[in-house]
Amino acid sequence: MRYPFPVGKSDFIQGDEAIARAAILAGCRFYAGYPITPASEIFEAMALYMPLVDGVSIQMEDEIGSIAAIIGASWAGAKAMTATSGPGFSLMQENLGYAVMTETPIVVVDVQRGGPSTGQPTLPAQGDIMQSIWGTHGDHMLIVLSPSTVQEAFDLTIKAFNLAEKYRTPVVLLTDAEIAHMRERVYIPNPDEIEIVNRKLPANEEEAKLPFGDPHGDGVPPMPIFGKGYRTYVTGLTHDERGRPKTVDAEIHEMLIRRIFRKILDHKDEIISYEKFMLEDAEIAIISTGIVSRSAIRAVKVLRERGVKAGLLKLNTIWPFDFEMIEELAEQVRKIYVPEMNMGQLYHLVKEGANGKAEVELIAKIGGEVHTPIEIVEKVVG
Amino acid sequence: MQIRFAGIGGQGVVLAGVILGEAAAIEGLNVLQTQDYSSASRGGHSIADVIISKEPIYDVIVTKADVLVALHQLGYDTVKDSLKEDGLLIIETDLVRPDRDYVGAPFTRIAEETTGLALTVNMVALGYLVAKTGVVKKESVEEAIKRRVPKGTEDINIKAFRAGFEEGSK
Repeated sequence: MRYPFPVGKSDFIQGDEAIARAAILAGCRFYAGYPITPASEIFEAMALYMPLVDGVSIQMEDEIGSIAAIIGASWAGAKAMTATSGPGFSLMQENLGYAVMTETPIVVVDVQRGGPSTGQPTLPAQGDIMQSIWGTHGDHMLIVLSPSTVQEAFDLTIKAFNLAEKYRTPVVLLTDAEIAHMRERVYIPNPDEIEIVNRKLPANEEEAKLPFGDPHGDGVPPMPIFGKGYRTYVTGLTHDERGRPKTVDAEIHEMLIRRIFRKILDHKDEIISYEKFMLEDAEIAIISTGIVSRSAIRAVKVLRERGVKAGLLKLNTIWPFDFEMIEELAEQVRKIYVPEMNMGQLYHLVKEGANGKAEVELIAKIGGEVHTPIEIVEKVVG
Repeated sequence: MQIRFAGIGGQGVVLAGVILGEAAAIEGLNVLQTQDYSSASRGGHSIADVIISKEPIYDVIVTKADVLVALHQLGYDTVKDSLKEDGLLIIETDLVRPDRDYVGAPFTRIAEETTGLALTVNMVALGYLVAKTGVVKKESVEEAIKRRVPKGTEDINIKAFRAGFEEGSK
């Protein structure tokens, strides 16, 4: 396989470009999108690369069509992705729920910009954290990942595809305008250096008849592919193990939804990824995700120089959320600070996790600039 | 080292930043490059930041620049306060009236004289910067220019870069 970009070496590229290249290396061969700042460069790269790897990149009429197209492509057997920003992500919410309900592996990239509405198209924000988790209606479970560097944007895109395939679920890659447009040195691995996960296919006709069952006991049913010999129903209505609509049977609804939760929550140790910096003896903890984590690391170093025992918990996965880990941390430290580029979203998850064991304070910043390290330091030392 | 380029749209400020960043990446240094420009494609201010370090880079924007390369008064006025007190100010001497110590040359005139094209001013300024600071090697920049400029314009851009480098070495 020849790739339309150099592999096995470092390159100097933007976050959006890194996401596109990672998707290609993860096996993505179908991209549908509608251009929007600051996600358009992902589309531009996909339009350039896809024909060179026998893939498809298509511009749809809007973001509703874009996510619908990748759900269809996924059922046709392709690894599929779309990318957008806040306004487009809002339009995708209904079909994001459809992907949850039909257990369709897809990757949806939301490059956050200032909102609500069209807001600040060129500037970064973290105002879609809650939307990425709870934006679609009904009881649902999905996975949300959040990078803080261009390298992480690359690595977490590969992880997003692997998790989507492994757990037959939509995965949201939540990034922002800053990471999207900044350039950093990124290592683009050789394909044989990357672990690639592909979805389970039915081993036999019996399994193929139960595309929404649980033949392996792990909550993840094998996924039959359209055109590969089996008759399969796919519907957003509550359905039985065969996929047939059963809309008034409480037991079937509960079995389906509880399994969709279980298949992810039973494996959350594998899904949840985080990094700890200087937390061993910390009395002050900073908890952050995405771009702000960079300023938070610097803030921790400055605080240590000033004699404050501070540490950082950087969350690479923001959903599912490890509430127990936060509570353990809250038992250890005196106070937790949550810097984020919104009016308070991750803060509420942390506060729930801390469960009253430590005080939790929000460091909110909006308007389009990332917190400077000193802004965080000054909040902590007053 | 935090380096900031400031000019107006059309001067190729962002490309200069990208090429400097690419040169640092070629040398295996950690590097981060960001840009900020007004919505006007020509005439609005245009800023490109490059942070180069052997250590991991946590800063996202230039907070205290070690070097400011100002190609136009509008860009200079927008970001002059971000330059450290003991930082190095490099200016396009025909287009910027600074209010502090500086070095510089008429980069646009040098570009016109060397290549016949004023728009190679960004490469002249980049050459001057590299000569004055030694932040990356000359050869790395020339390799980066080959990778980043439109095909067919490599020679003219390298020529402009060398003219700036020579001016900065004086």
